[in-house]
Amino acid sequence: MEEQDKLKILKELLLTEEKEFTDSLAEKVEELTKIVHQKKELSYKVDPIIDDKLDDFVREIPKTLGPTITEALKEEIKNSQDAVVEALFPIIGKMIKKYIAQEMRLLSENISRNTRKAFSFKNWFRRTAAKAQGITEGDLAISDYNKPRLVQMFVIEKNSGILIADYSPLSDNTIDKEMVAGMLTAIKSFVEDAFEGGDQNLELIEYELFTIHIQNFYSYYVAAVISGAYTMMFKEVLEDQIIDFATHNISSKDLENSTLFTQKLKKHFADEIV
Amino acid sequence: MKLSKKVVLLGHFGVGKTSLFKRFIDNEFSEEYKVTLGVQIKKKVVILPDGRELSMIIWDAEGHSNSVEDTRKSYLLGSHAFIYVFDLTREDTYIHLNKDLTYLKENYKVPTKVLGNKLDLVNEKEMIAALKSKDIPFDCLTSAKTNKNVQQFFSDLSIEITT
Repeated sequence: MEEQDKLKILKELLLTEEKEFTDSLAEKVEELTKIVHQKKELSYKVDPIIDDKLDDFVREIPKTLGPTITEALKEEIKNSQDAVVEALFPIIGKMIKKYIAQEMRLLSENISRNTRKAFSFKNWFRRTAAKAQGITEGDLAISDYNKPRLVQMFVIEKNSGILIADYSPLSDNTIDKEMVAGMLTAIKSFVEDAFEGGDQNLELIEYELFTIHIQNFYSYYVAAVISGAYTMMFKEVLEDQIIDFATHNISSKDLENSTLFTQKLKKHFADEIV
Repeated sequence: MKLSKKVVLLGHFGVGKTSLFKRFIDNEFSEEYKVTLGVQIKKKVVILPDGRELSMIIWDAEGHSNSVEDTRKSYLLGSHAFIYVFDLTREDTYIHLNKDLTYLKENYKVPTKVLGNKLDLVNEKEMIAALKSKDIPFDCLTSAKTNKNVQQFFSDLSIEITT
């Protein structure tokens, strides 16, 4: 055996462990190089860490940035009061305008009616009634003015929301009643589903000057839009009238014939309710 | 005599129910995506071949994320037809279609029409073959964006629900 071969054998004997260690290191370096240089591999490793950090960051925003943002907004509003008023004015103005227009319309209706009836028996009766109750005729006129009035009445199929019949004593009728019937049913269903309370039904919707009185029957419901003061007394009378109408005028045949139903509805509710 | 029918649009989020709804009723399309919350209702009067007028009251219900059973039941009651919409580009929107159709059939005795939407984004022939191979039933493939097959589909449906 030559000297070189002996040395090789000796090397192998002495450096086996080191060689294995070096090989494993080389393998690991190659793996890491692969991870670092291949987007997909790197993303697999790094994304969860970034996601965690981002989640932490989002969670911390209200604490860290919240007070600064609030302070900055407060300062900005304080310094730009005119701009804020400018932005809000059209909205507020529109609301006031709408309210005044509604009030003026009611007042004008009231004046016309009262003028027409100034020399009527009813007027004489009102003066007597005011004297008897110990109140002024003006107070009595105001209570008359705020009297509840039927604006619109819908008879709607309960589940489908299909409009069966409708009636309005007012001539101005531009809304799409079929869509209103659908939306009312959707609102009603939503409320009844959202607040699980057994078989309970939505019976009243209030919006500023109007009230929607809802009366439920087995396969349909009646929605009456009322303007003015919706008092308990009025509610009772209205309920009785609707029940009376349902008992004496509505048969299953009527529910299928919307034209006939509408005629009956008009006839029954043509007179003032109270 | 007045004729009114309630039709409900069903399907996963983002399949294009509202786009179909707007395309059919207002002949409009918008690329902007707004999630429907709750339900929106609109009406379209359709003239039937025999001259009668049909008020089609369409309920565009908010999309569900898993199954049609998640849709608010009160929205489905009293319907005269359902339109189940799925997205041709998203398999997750029709993967449970057969299960959903069985549920609707068992609980509501009204016709359900299946629409594959966003036809403008796929190759029609390849898509039909793919759906058939996956055993996915459908009545019509539409594109709310290009208006392809939309008017025809609703016209056919209006006849079906009134005869």
